[in-house]
Amino acid sequence: MRLPRFQYLEPKDLCEALHLLELHGEECRILAGGTDLLVRMKQRLLRPSWILSLKNLHELDYIRNEDGALCIGGRTPLARVLSSPVVAEKIPALREAVQSIGAPTIQHYRGTLGGNLCQDTRCLHHNQSAFWRSTKQPCHKAGGRICYAREGSDRCRSTHQSDAAPALMALEARVVLSRKEGTRILSLEDFYTTRGETPLAIERGEILTEIQIPLPSSGSGNAYRRIAYRSAVDFPIASAGVSVQVRKGRIQRAKIVVGSIASAPLPLAQAGACLQGRPLDDEDALERAAQVSMDHASAFAVDNVGSTVEYRIRMVSVLVKRALKEALHRAQSREDEP
Amino acid sequence: MNDYSVIGKRMPRVDSRAKVTGEAKYTADLKFPRMLVGKVLRSPLPHARILHIDTTRARRLPGVKAVVTGEDTTGEKWGVFRYTRDQQFLPTDKVRYLGEEVAAVAAVDEDTALEALELIKVDYEELPAVFDPLEAMAPDAPRIHEDFPQNINIHVAIHVGDVEEGFAKSYYVREDTFRAPEESYFQGEPYAVVARFDLEGNLEIWMPNAGPHMKAKPLSNALKIPLHKVHVRKITIGGAFGGRSEISPADFICALLAQKTRRPVKIVYSREENTIATRQGHAMITTIKTGVDRQGRVIARDVTCFMDGGAYSSTGPIATSVPFLCMEQAYRMENVRYNGYRIYTNKPVRGMIRVHGRAFACGVDTQLDMIAEQLGIDPVEIRLRNAREAGDYTNTRSYVTSCAMKETIRRAAERAGWKEKWGKLPPYRGIGIGCNSVQTGFPMGIRGGSQAFIKFNEDGGATVISGVVDNGQGNDNMLVQIAAEELGLRPEDIQLVTADTEVTPLDPGAYSQVSTFIGGQAVKLAAQDARRKLLEIASEALEAHVDDLVARDRMIFVKGSPQKAIPIKKVVRMGLARGKSVSGEGAYWPKVDPKREWVTNPFGQMCEAFSFGTTIAEVEVDPETGKVKVLQVVAAQDVGFALNPLVLEGQFQGAVAMGGQGGMLTEYHFWDQGRVMNPTQLEYKLPLAPDMPPIETIIVESHDPNGPYGAKEAGMSIAMSAAQAYSAAVSNAIGVYMKEFPITPDKILQALRSKREDKE
Repeated sequence: MRLPRFQYLEPKDLCEALHLLELHGEECRILAGGTDLLVRMKQRLLRPSWILSLKNLHELDYIRNEDGALCIGGRTPLARVLSSPVVAEKIPALREAVQSIGAPTIQHYRGTLGGNLCQDTRCLHHNQSAFWRSTKQPCHKAGGRICYAREGSDRCRSTHQSDAAPALMALEARVVLSRKEGTRILSLEDFYTTRGETPLAIERGEILTEIQIPLPSSGSGNAYRRIAYRSAVDFPIASAGVSVQVRKGRIQRAKIVVGSIASAPLPLAQAGACLQGRPLDDEDALERAAQVSMDHASAFAVDNVGSTVEYRIRMVSVLVKRALKEALHRAQSREDEP
Repeated sequence: MNDYSVIGKRMPRVDSRAKVTGEAKYTADLKFPRMLVGKVLRSPLPHARILHIDTTRARRLPGVKAVVTGEDTTGEKWGVFRYTRDQQFLPTDKVRYLGEEVAAVAAVDEDTALEALELIKVDYEELPAVFDPLEAMAPDAPRIHEDFPQNINIHVAIHVGDVEEGFAKSYYVREDTFRAPEESYFQGEPYAVVARFDLEGNLEIWMPNAGPHMKAKPLSNALKIPLHKVHVRKITIGGAFGGRSEISPADFICALLAQKTRRPVKIVYSREENTIATRQGHAMITTIKTGVDRQGRVIARDVTCFMDGGAYSSTGPIATSVPFLCMEQAYRMENVRYNGYRIYTNKPVRGMIRVHGRAFACGVDTQLDMIAEQLGIDPVEIRLRNAREAGDYTNTRSYVTSCAMKETIRRAAERAGWKEKWGKLPPYRGIGIGCNSVQTGFPMGIRGGSQAFIKFNEDGGATVISGVVDNGQGNDNMLVQIAAEELGLRPEDIQLVTADTEVTPLDPGAYSQVSTFIGGQAVKLAAQDARRKLLEIASEALEAHVDDLVARDRMIFVKGSPQKAIPIKKVVRMGLARGKSVSGEGAYWPKVDPKREWVTNPFGQMCEAFSFGTTIAEVEVDPETGKVKVLQVVAAQDVGFALNPLVLEGQFQGAVAMGGQGGMLTEYHFWDQGRVMNPTQLEYKLPLAPDMPPIETIIVESHDPNGPYGAKEAGMSIAMSAAQAYSAAVSNAIGVYMKEFPITPDKILQALRSKREDKE
């Protein structure tokens, strides 16, 4: 399939990029790795007049430790995240998430962490070719007033299928959004609007320049689990990112985030609360947390990606339980660290 | 023990280097001066009358060189058979599926062509559509083709013996229904065509094909130009799997645009177009009733199959028959009845596919396992008791000359450790076996035989001229090996001129695994003819009798005294200098019953040879997610004789990927009315390399007396038996016999849940 016509911009640094972005506004799209953007353009889901490439913005390619947080530049290639010893040691959830994005070729060649977070929501009724969509009335996402995924829905129910987002949300990561006039920092929970039509809180003229992940202290553990029908080049149809804090054989705190179910990753505070103060080996509490996660997720899921909605909802409990077990295991082994 | 120098050797294919380096040129790579881009406008409706097409604005767009619609055609309908002529390449009356060709443009570039499509205005009168074959058969269902009441496109009815009597005599009888939705091929190469006319009105055309002559004839008919003026050229082809078997509307449209513009035109399909507007595999509902004796031998089997054929006939009569034929070849049955119905629906057109009839093949074997369990017989044993043997006649009266089905079963079972594993595996582990048989060709009328020429060049090399086409399976290499062996040359001495209807003689094409058996045989005979002429010339020079001469490794020498030798190059030059012919010709016509016909007379010799395959799969199921991990696959096939074990092993591995891993675990289409929801690989879960299990291949050789060097079909028997083995293994692992394919994780969880509920 052919890309629609566009003008190509290749700023040499962030300053120029922000200037150009300000200048071209809504008509301009940011190209990092392009793995999401170019497919959408080929399907004519997007027809930007301008494409601004981050290719030369090496200043946004870094991983560094700053004030107890790991800061990762927005256009850092996924492969670099995978090769980071700090990520491997302290935030395995991120590593697990990045490992499942696309395929090794995509991780090495193109995909960036910022790009994965900024990916648009997806729906089988929308992410189709122009010909395919031309055979139906436009849906909410396409500016219409119909939802094909859930009859009668007054809003878009497309699904956010990023792997990195639920993992990072469980780690309470933040994103830095830069614009010409300055920067602002949003928690991932604020970055994702939960609106299918406009899933990101990024505004005109802004670039996601940095991801900040608070480095977990001793006695903490995190993990990410996802499911798809194929081993690679497949978006998750359900996923779970969790982080836990344990102390003296008990769970102090657990954060559970479910992905690929709703228009944004779902932070499930109530599910996490089931575990608070429970012993590490409390299987019933784990079951309960998984069950509550599934119940909450079921309110959001619609039949619009990969498998049946019943299957995806059921997988939420399995993935939450598995991620929790792994995270608790990791936390336990790190409890004695200084 | 044979004494071949090239045949039977593990030789890398002659085309592999060009393919792995990306140098091989496919149709979409072709470029000609002044070439235009062709694009097709497709119907947005599944069933509608075409009231009016206004192309005025498109024609006026600068850069547009031609716009064609049904009005530019003779309106004639095409069909593989006289009685299946139902498709116009550009319809004049109505459209019958969403995505059907309605108009096309040729323009100077792709952007202009796409813009022109948007300027074509089509007025439709939408008609009620039907998407389910059973609903389509209802008396009040919309009629898709006027001449076909109840939308029954094809009905194949076969009854041999008396099944009712057989059931009455049976010790145990059961009936089950199996279902599977449509699947697609996802060839490496999406469909593409390039066409141009010369000043004499000759059409030159390139496209992926399974037989150039099968493309030339309908093109000649539709364009009203003599057949000898249609030159289908050779080009590298990226896979067929049954999906490139006939003429495509794109071939005709591209030629028509080239004719109108007097310029070369190229049409390249998107992946979505390849899915919806070439071919798909049939969806099927198969009900199987089987009666066995106390030992599990089949006394009677009654099969009724409803196939969703989509909007047009395609190869309907063949497609409706092949699932049944594969079964009757694989297993003995005393009495059998088959009612196969191919039903029209308002969905894309369905054709042949490598695993022909998942619901049929897997149904038969699943039911065999159910019967075995009931009677307390091991699945391997029940297959051995029913397996076909050499010297048998099939129920529809084909003589089976060579057959090593039992050997494939025994050797696969031994290699897979069946005895140690069956019934002894831990929970959620399972092992399963599948057996199948595929025919090496079928009666194909005038194009049923193949002819070939061999021309010696003055440097001692030879050129093979044959109609055989290579669409990915390695046919080119097969021809090179055969010619080199017979001529006493090395593979690199052989040049190929193949699959070009201007130059190469008639050939059936790569249909039904027939290339080696028929086309290869013709080349072998041609090479023998050329060799005989060379030996005659050499006999004078060597002062030896022709019968005492051997051609090998570029030399002709006297048997027993290798020092008495002369280079082939020298003999060729002697022949050329003396005005003696140093070329050969060969023709092969298979001994099949020409009166056999799919619908009116489905009896008589189908083909000369049948292949037999057994696959065993071992799996582990995650009971929480329903995901299947395949631990090991053993694939054994009776291929007659292995011309090149390396190529065969590749065939087996590809067959396991397509039939088992993809076909039985993840691949299927799902629909929104007539819209396919997963037209591309992202949502259609084709397995990737990391999904594949370890595969062990076993080549079994029964040396078919009629095959070239004893060879017959390869690859498809494994694809089909792999599907059966996978379904059997999953069923075994979860303790539920699965009847809906493919067996996706959601279905496995559902089955486990139902099983638990049944217990409670």
